[in-house]
Formats: sequence, C-alpha cells, structure tokens
Amino acid sequence: MGNWSKWRAEFCFYFLFLAVAFALTGLYACQKSKNSALLNIGLPEEPQSLNLWLGTDANSRKILSQIYQPLYHHHPETLEIIPWLAKDQPVFDPQALTYTVTLREAKWSDGSDFTSEDVLFTKQLFFDFKIPKYYSNWNIIQKIEAPDAHTVVFYLKEPSAIFMSRVMTAPMVSKKEWEPIAKQALAKEKPLRSLQDHPIEKPLGTGPFTLFEYKSGAYIHMKKNPYFFGTGQKIGNHILGPYVESLLFRIYGTSDVAILALKKGDIDYYWGDIQPGYIKDLKEQANIDLYFNKKSALYYMGFNLRKPPFDDKVLRQAIATMVDKDFILTRILQNYGTPMHSVVPSGNHFWYNPNVRKYGQGKTHDERIKLAYEMLKTAGYSWETPPVDENNNIVTPSDIRLPSGAAMDKFVILTPPADYDPKRAFAGTMIQEWLRELGMSAFARPMSFNSLLETVKGKHEFDAFVLGYGQLDLDPDYLRTFFESKNDKPRGWNMSGYRNPEFDTIADEQMTLIDTQKRKEIIWKMQEIILEDLPYLPLYNPHIIEATFNERFKGWVAKVDGIGNIWSMCVVKPAD
Amino acid sequence: MRNQTYILGKLVEITIIFFVIMTALFFLFRLSPGDPISKVADPMLTPEDMRYIIEQMGLDKPIWEQYVIYLKNFFTGNFGVSFHYGEPVFKIIRERLGWTVLLFTSSTILAAFAGVFLGKIAAWNKGSRLDNVLSISALVCYTLFIPWFALLLLWVFGFKLGLFPLGGILSPELWVGNASWFVRMLDILHHMLLPLMTLFVIHLGSYLLLMRSSMLSVLREDYIITARAKGLSERVIRNKHAAKNAALPVVTSVGLSLAFSINGGALTEQIFTWPGIGRELIFAVSNNDYPLAQACFLLIALVVCWPIWLWIFSMPIWIRGLPIEPQGMVLE
Repeated sequence: MGNWSKWRAEFCFYFLFLAVAFALTGLYACQKSKNSALLNIGLPEEPQSLNLWLGTDANSRKILSQIYQPLYHHHPETLEIIPWLAKDQPVFDPQALTYTVTLREAKWSDGSDFTSEDVLFTKQLFFDFKIPKYYSNWNIIQKIEAPDAHTVVFYLKEPSAIFMSRVMTAPMVSKKEWEPIAKQALAKEKPLRSLQDHPIEKPLGTGPFTLFEYKSGAYIHMKKNPYFFGTGQKIGNHILGPYVESLLFRIYGTSDVAILALKKGDIDYYWGDIQPGYIKDLKEQANIDLYFNKKSALYYMGFNLRKPPFDDKVLRQAIATMVDKDFILTRILQNYGTPMHSVVPSGNHFWYNPNVRKYGQGKTHDERIKLAYEMLKTAGYSWETPPVDENNNIVTPSDIRLPSGAAMDKFVILTPPADYDPKRAFAGTMIQEWLRELGMSAFARPMSFNSLLETVKGKHEFDAFVLGYGQLDLDPDYLRTFFESKNDKPRGWNMSGYRNPEFDTIADEQMTLIDTQKRKEIIWKMQEIILEDLPYLPLYNPHIIEATFNERFKGWVAKVDGIGNIWSMCVVKPAD
Repeated sequence: MRNQTYILGKLVEITIIFFVIMTALFFLFRLSPGDPISKVADPMLTPEDMRYIIEQMGLDKPIWEQYVIYLKNFFTGNFGVSFHYGEPVFKIIRERLGWTVLLFTSSTILAAFAGVFLGKIAAWNKGSRLDNVLSISALVCYTLFIPWFALLLLWVFGFKLGLFPLGGILSPELWVGNASWFVRMLDILHHMLLPLMTLFVIHLGSYLLLMRSSMLSVLREDYIITARAKGLSERVIRNKHAAKNAALPVVTSVGLSLAFSINGGALTEQIFTWPGIGRELIFAVSNNDYPLAQACFLLIALVVCWPIWLWIFSMPIWIRGLPIEPQGMVLE
C-alpha cells in the first residue's frame, strides 16, 4: 500500500495523452495568424437556411442580405427610400396607376445580366407559391410589364402608400437560378415547402458578396462579388466598395464568449445586441469601439380589451399614469434606451408624432399615485381605504372596487421569462408593484415565449402582457395591422382586441395616399387615437449596443438598427 | 428452445417500449403550447400567411392522420424534413451526432478510466490523507456548475493565456486556406481540448466516488480474505480481484452516460459552440421543430435500448472477453 512506483505507469497513460495534446496544440496555436483581407464577424446563432424563402430569421437575413438585393433601399441616414438596383426614383402615373422603374446595368454574381425579366420572374414566384409576406405585400399589383430589358412597369389595383416601402424593397432573384427549382417544386403536393426545402449551395445574387463556403456548425465564408453594381458608385452618400476581400462569419453560442473573442481580436465585429452589463468592461478596452443606436422597435404593455376590467379606458389611462418609464429606463435599461411615448419609435423621425398624450410625464411617484387615484375615483372606482387619505398622504390601500361595486379580480401580466428577455420580465414585475399601490391585485407571470404568444395571440386568454417588436418596418403601416378591427381574430396582430371605427376608417385611408405629407398627418392622428385609447401602452425602446475591434477595420455605418447593415459591409476598410 | 423464447420475449418487449416512446413523443409535442410558427413575431405575416405555412407543413391535417403519416414515414426510413432548417432530419443528425460522439465518448471513457484508477487508490488507502484529498476533489468536481467551469476554462486558457480557441470546432481562417489534413486534424483536437477537459472533470468526480464506494464494499468480501489467505500479493488482490469486480457499477454507469450524453451536454456544447446534437435537441424543442425533436429523442431511446439488445444477444460472450471479468466468482 502507498507504493507510488506501482501507480506511476498508469498515471502516465492519462497525463501523457494530455501533455502531448497540449504541447502539439499550443505550438500549433502560436503559428496561426490573422488574415487582414478577412473581415471576421461573430454571429449569435447559425443561420436557419441559405434558402431565401425559408431563412427568415435574423441570422439568415444577415448573410442573405449581402447576396439578394432589392430595387430600392433605405438611405442609411435619412431613411428615405433611394434607388439601389433601380437607376432612379420610379415615375408614377396617377391616371394609369403605374410606377415605371428603370433598372441599373447590373449583373448577377455569375456574370449574367440582371434584367427586367428577373423582376417579372420574382413577382411570378411570389404569386405562384404565395410566398408568405411577399405575396400579401405584392398583392396590390395587378400586373407587371417589361417594355425592355431595363424598364419595368408596375400596374397597381388601387393607389397604395406602401408600394415603395413593401414592394420595392423585396429581394430580387435570378430567373436563371430559380426557374428550374420553381418548376420542380410546383409539381409537388406542397409547392411552397418544396421550394423552401430546396438546398441552395451557391446562391446567385447581385449584392456585394457571394457565398463561397458554408461549413455547417463552423463558419460561413463569403467573397467579394466582382460584378457588384455598386463598386465605385456613390449611393446614399457613400462610395461603395466592398473594400474587404472576404467576410468570415463564425458562431458564438453565448455572448460571454463572443465578447471575449472580440476583446482578443478573434472577430472584428459581433453582429448581435450586447447587454448593458458588458459596457463598463468594453469601454475600458482601447481596441474596442462601442456603438449605441436607436432601434426601430416597440416594447409595450398590452391589455385585453375584450373583457373587464381592461375594457375600461380610464383604468388603462390610470395604469399608464402609474407606469414610470424613466424609472424603467434608468434602472432596467441602465440608460441605454429611450422611454417610448408613441407606438412609432422616435428614431423613425418622419412618422413619429411627438405630440401624443404623455401620461404622468415629469411627475414624482407620489404625484402619479394621486393623479391615477383621482382618475379612477372620478370614473367610479372605490376603496375601503383609498391610496390617498383625507390629508393627501399616500397610504397602503385596500382592494380596489370596480364602478359596479364588485371587487376587481386578481389579474395577471404575462411577460417573457428573464432568461429570454430580462428587461421585459423586470418591467412586468415593476408594473405589478406600481399597480398594487392602487389596490389592484396584479401579478406578473413570466411564461415561455411560445406559450405566451399562443395565449395572447392565438387564444386571447389573458389580462395584460408585456411584449415587443424588435425590428419594426420603417413604414408605419403596421399601425393598421396592430389596431384595425378586422385583425382582431385568432392569430391576428390586433392582440388587444381594439375596435374603433374612426381608427379603422383613417387606417384604411392612409393606405391609399401617395402624398406622403397628407399620409403623415393621418399617421400622426392614428398615434394620437391609440395613445388616447391605450390598447397598447408603449414602454421603452432599448438602444442597440454593438462593438467592433478597431485595430484592423474602420468606417462602420451607423443607422437605426445599428451598424450591422449592407452599407457597413460595402464601405468598411482595412484600418491601415 | 427456452433461451430462444426468452430472447424473443425480450425483443417483443423492447419493440413495444420503442413503439410507446414513439407514440408518446408524437403526441407530447403536438400537445405542447404553440406550433412551429408561433414564435414568429413578424407583423408583415398575416394570419392567412400563417395558416398557409401550417398547411404546407402538413400540420393542418387531423392529428390521427398526421400520426399515421408519421408511423408510415418512420417504418420506411423517412424521418422527415426539419421545419426549421428545411433539411432532412437524418442529414442533420448525421452531421451533429459525429461531433457529439467524438467529444462525449472520449471524455466519458477517459473520465471512467481515470475515475476507476483514482477510486481504486482512494479505497485502498481509505482514511489516509490521499483518500481525503481524492474524495474531496471528486466531490468538488461532481458539484461543479458546468457553465461557470466552462467559462472559467475559456477565460483562463482561451483569453488570458491565449493557448486555446474560444469555442467552435475549427479555425475558419485556417480551413479557408490550404492547410493540410494533418493540420486540420490538429486544429480540431486543439478546439476539442477545453470542452473535453470540462466534461472530463465533471464526469471524473462521479466515477471516482462510485468506484471508491464499490471497491470498499468489494474489499469486505470473503473471496478477498481467501485471496489473502492464499498468499497472493497485495497488488494482485487490489488490481485483479478487487478492482475488476468493483468496476462493474462504473461500467454500467458509463453505458448510461453514453446514452444520455446525446442531450446531457447541451450546456457544454452551447458554451463551446460545439455543433453537437444536444444543442440541436434543445433548439428543436424550443422551436417546436417536431420532426427534428422527435428524431433526437428516438435516437436517445434507441441508444438506451441498444445495450439491452446487445446484452440479450451477447452478454455471455462479451462479459467473458472483457478485462473486468469477475474474479473469484463462479459464472453459471
């Protein structure tokens, strides 16, 4: 016993293996070097698919947006819609209801010409397969004609305000590439699914980069497209490159590891949202640049207007008065965001109405309680012990009673779980506490995101919820989607069950207005109505926080929704 | 004849178990809240679009019809196409399983060998300082919080010392170049070492404690006293008579670990961005990707059932061939 010499041989087996492995890999690690022509980008997840019709998740879009291009793009600074694959602004004929678009001399990544035939084919693909989203957006088109290879005429069924923002920003695909795939898929029992499941290994695009190699689970390697139409052109106030030879996307399973990779210089940019907790550390790194940009997003509290107690507008307004958005901003968002007062984000300068009703703004916590108490008392709500006593002091109230005299039932505020989105989960808890100060039995309950959407959107079995849209379209037509009566149906986007004929009328009217100034007036009016009726109470808009490793590349283009955009990929240059 | 009936009975039993698992999986996923597109929060997708997507996935059919299709597909070797990736499930599993097996099999086997060896030493030196050190270390390893430990390793060896990569399975900048196969293999090994170390340490604790406890119980057996009475050396008694018998529970545990390693390493895979099947399974469940999730669970069931099949057919053969053949006992 205790004779070490007898055990040494057995120990050696294990340690020899580890020692050899460490030595070999350590030596090898020292020999690796960074290629300055490669722009290394970290992604939080692997893309869903490189098939454009299936890869609709954020990570697929990051890859595919470098390949497939639309006719028009949003200007990075002004957010106006500017020509991209198109040569000029379209010519509108109000009599014939046509838009005539002239195309640039552009080529697909295999060197073949991009022509009006491709535009016609793209439209036909949307219609033949009823491709979700694109089909409903393009359904305003009666027909398309191609008088020549570089001219396309779109005939509308009726005037439409969303033609530019929804139709012209759709990606164009190559007839040469997709026609045989479409033919094959149309013959199948499930044509759309067949189209989506078709493996795409070398997608043909007109964008600045082409896919060179995709090693599943490891990396995506894209190379500069030699036929990119924008090279050397000044578009959107930028002279486009690309100025890097390749993009190399690598996946990082957790943001902790991605941040380490960024600090170490393994990646030049992490294309994901960075949580405020990392900022202090990153600010101390000389080789890291941080970017804070507004998001086209809406984070809000929704009410179920289909049943008591939230069918009462005064109650919703009193709740809005109690919700301290500045507190949410400073404590939960750590000042990395903006309080939201309208259902259109303030970053969307043109459409945002700054004059909507703002509840409790600039009031102290006690003033909010008093204001909400007065609103509720006037509307007939009562308490045995009200939250404000005769001496105008704030006290712990008894349970609130409805105007009918019945006690208000306990209600639940559904939120996503903290591991999915801590901000929304904590906002729900704070709102719960504020409402209890008015004698309401509010309970914030985190629920898995799937179940939450199913409960709120599918079954409508809820009282209130906290949700958000992380990437709203820049065109505010979504207001119609969210609040029009006809969308109050299972799986419809009018989750609150808001019904207001006045709103419906102007929502439909704005859809047909080509004059943007007139449309803006109506969009502003729609925001005023919503903020008065409060089916949704806008809460906050977090900043998108991003970071780059600044030693190798520079020139990132910041816009709403951050620096991860096609403009950055076209203008980023090696630092030296 | 009696043996054949026994084996046949066992086969029928396993087939029924497997069928029940398949059925349970099918209905459990359909009963869970939401569907593959309930997480989609794009306001531009109309309810009509969503209905159309569901129809194209075949989920608009009555559940019994879907079940019949599922069984038919399964028995014709068609595991379906992942709703999320749009790729055949078989292809996804084939790609991912290799990485999981590579990492988990090596870590489990290495940890089992080390655990048996160190557990044997600890038990043999019961009550000594060596035993205390080993037992306490094993307890620490056993109770380590995987994400914390994995991140610690990454921070120290990957970030601070720069000896290892920060996750992934290979270095893209090397693979997009013209590196030789040898260098590429070395690259994979380089990426594998930190996750391997994490899993090795985590598993080592349980195997060491199991072996120690088993060894202590074996050392009290009569045949050990007999062996001593026969004048055998302490080394022979420890290594040949005691350790081989004591290792049997560890072997059973290793078998089960291998089966559950398919999903059990999801956290490690997530942190090290190791594209294994554990990550895929969690992802498939949370996204209601029914075909992929069902296939992953069926694979686990198959792996759990497989040793039983193997045991039925070949236990008498392989148990005698293994170096852990029980000594001092009579096999009947």
